[in-house]
Amino acid sequence: MQLIEALKNKKKEILSTWVDRTLDSYVSSGFFKRAQDKFANPVGANIREGLSKLYDLLLCKADQKEMMDPLDQVIRIRAVQEFTPAQAVAPILELKWVVKQVFTADKKLRPLLIELDSFDCDVDRAALAAFDIYTICREQLYQNRISELKSGRSILTDSGCPSALDRQGKQHISKLQ
Amino acid sequence: MAVVKVDKLARSVAEGPSLMTGSNPTKNWMDVPVVFKPGNYAYTTKPEKLEYLDSQQGVSFPNARVWNPEDEDWKLPENWKEIIINGLADRLDKFRSLKIFMDCCVRCGACADKCHFFLGTGDPKNMPVLRAELLRSVYRQEFTLAGKLLGKMAGGREMTTAVIKEWFMYAYQCTECRRCSVFCPYGIDTAEITMMLRELLHLVGCGINWAMEPVANSNRTGNHMGLTPQAFKGNVEFLCEDIENLTGIHIEPSFNRKGAEILFITPSADVFAEPGLFTCMGYLLLFEAIGLDYTWSTYASEGGNFGLFTSNQMMKKLNAKMYAEAKRLGVKWILGGECGHMWRVIHQYMDTMNGPADFLEVPKSPITGTVFDNTASTKMVHISEFTADLIQQGKIKFDKSRNSHVKATWHDSCNTARGMGLLEEPRYILDHVVDNWVEMPENTIREKTFCCGSGTALNTDEIMELRMRAGLPRANAVRYVADKHGVNTLGCVCAIDRATLTTLMNYWNPDVQVCGLSELVGNALIIEGEKRAENLDEGLRTMVF
Repeated sequence: MQLIEALKNKKKEILSTWVDRTLDSYVSSGFFKRAQDKFANPVGANIREGLSKLYDLLLCKADQKEMMDPLDQVIRIRAVQEFTPAQAVAPILELKWVVKQVFTADKKLRPLLIELDSFDCDVDRAALAAFDIYTICREQLYQNRISELKSGRSILTDSGCPSALDRQGKQHISKLQ
Repeated sequence: MAVVKVDKLARSVAEGPSLMTGSNPTKNWMDVPVVFKPGNYAYTTKPEKLEYLDSQQGVSFPNARVWNPEDEDWKLPENWKEIIINGLADRLDKFRSLKIFMDCCVRCGACADKCHFFLGTGDPKNMPVLRAELLRSVYRQEFTLAGKLLGKMAGGREMTTAVIKEWFMYAYQCTECRRCSVFCPYGIDTAEITMMLRELLHLVGCGINWAMEPVANSNRTGNHMGLTPQAFKGNVEFLCEDIENLTGIHIEPSFNRKGAEILFITPSADVFAEPGLFTCMGYLLLFEAIGLDYTWSTYASEGGNFGLFTSNQMMKKLNAKMYAEAKRLGVKWILGGECGHMWRVIHQYMDTMNGPADFLEVPKSPITGTVFDNTASTKMVHISEFTADLIQQGKIKFDKSRNSHVKATWHDSCNTARGMGLLEEPRYILDHVVDNWVEMPENTIREKTFCCGSGTALNTDEIMELRMRAGLPRANAVRYVADKHGVNTLGCVCAIDRATLTTLMNYWNPDVQVCGLSELVGNALIIEGEKRAENLDEGLRTMVF
């Protein structure tokens, strides 16, 4: 219980570091970290909101199903950005490092470091769920490509030139004759 | 407003070990080379398409070849540098706006965080200021005294193949949506800088197939799809059969009819691909309901003009075909369908390229008598202007309950909103055809609308990830109204939007469908003698057997 209390008390500090480190994975992250408007800054705001909700759910030992929405909020974005699969889900695992940093820096909390095993396991489970979501997102991308091809839009390119086809057909017929 | 150095805009610092990218810049932006890999670039133009276009009058598209952006050697002409510098000199001389845009930026940073590509990627070279700097740095080096003397110290840089590659990467990560220009205190139109970058790249044969094949098709058969006149006519007639099955209304549209009062031109996607088909059915029903004397053309069978995304000569040529056809058929004026960039070309460039269209009459609605003075020079009226006038004059009636399956929100398409100021008409029409619709947040609509992320010929599937991240700001605002108000339909007046927002919604908000405004009009329109099936739960989209 003492651990959960400590994680609650240090929530602001932990979240702030966690979100900042996640947003630092973007080449130019200043705006993502600074801007608060959800619509002007969708990457920053959604990652901040998703990670905050996830943190609360981890603290109350919530069912994994409940974590899917906030995980999706973060991973769906990273799944279409220029990250490797590992880099895309890495922020979830980074929470372990962040918690240890914050606890190590506070003398009173250092004894709790050895009690983090269970919390770390919960974070690992969330990270594995994040990888599931990543895979779903990637599959949706490929489905999107197939849907576009099927919808007739692909005919914009790769369509045979009608007059060329006609000419080729006539040439073929004249050869046969 | 604080003046910020460009390199500061592009810098951030992380401390401590990280499992993530470690992508924080350690170098000046000029020294970070671009890396092409599958998914981050669109396929290059097929040589036969470029050869065909290069053989056409009035345009030049040299250096057709097979090449791959991932290769070190792009097979550029031997004197590529001279070609580029001379090409830039020509354009600085010809386009005063380019010269001003090159000189007047103070790097205030107001545009930096307004681009959907930057917001979706966090890549500093997608900040409009820095994208422009890709060209401006070469301009400084070659065309300003300070740059010639001081080079890099004055923000200049040598034109190298690395710069060409950078141009190719970022000129095709801009949809020319012009959102950034709304926020620029100097009104710099970054879209025109992208247009110049693309023109310069074409001088050495660097273009993308998704732009050039539709351009080639359009030049040859009149439309992007390469549809023959027979196929085009057949598709419209096929839609008329569907309409008859759904509504009992029999329509016999005319094609290439000389002496018709009005020529109707719309994107070919409207007659060929979902969900544009349903928008097209809306047009056909509306025109039948009011007894409009109009004709389709199987030659000017495309409203879209991918020339806008290619070169000014190509844009001029494709635009001219619409007016040549109007002249040939002897119509009084042109009515245009739901297209985005067609309207930007008409509104911003047509008049100086091919206008004024003095052989046509100032458009006057034959139903209401309203004269569209706003189109006195181009002689081309937008379908939403035309429809809104019909409603306002009480000439058409609606049954909103036929759209009861729709809870809509409105996407202002970039080109019609920012390019021609079409903001109120679609909203006025929506008020009359649906019971329920809500606005998205203020900083994502009207002049500040977010792009679909796939315009300017970027709507190709090989860059799907890029499109999804660029469309995030739009999708994010849609998600908000979907969650808060139960919105299930995203309306718009642009063919590229209809196609690409559908894909975007599939990824970000799968419960939201996309439709054209005229589809909603067609759903609700009361027509004399109609016998609509009772169970049209999805309006004109309902499958009936």
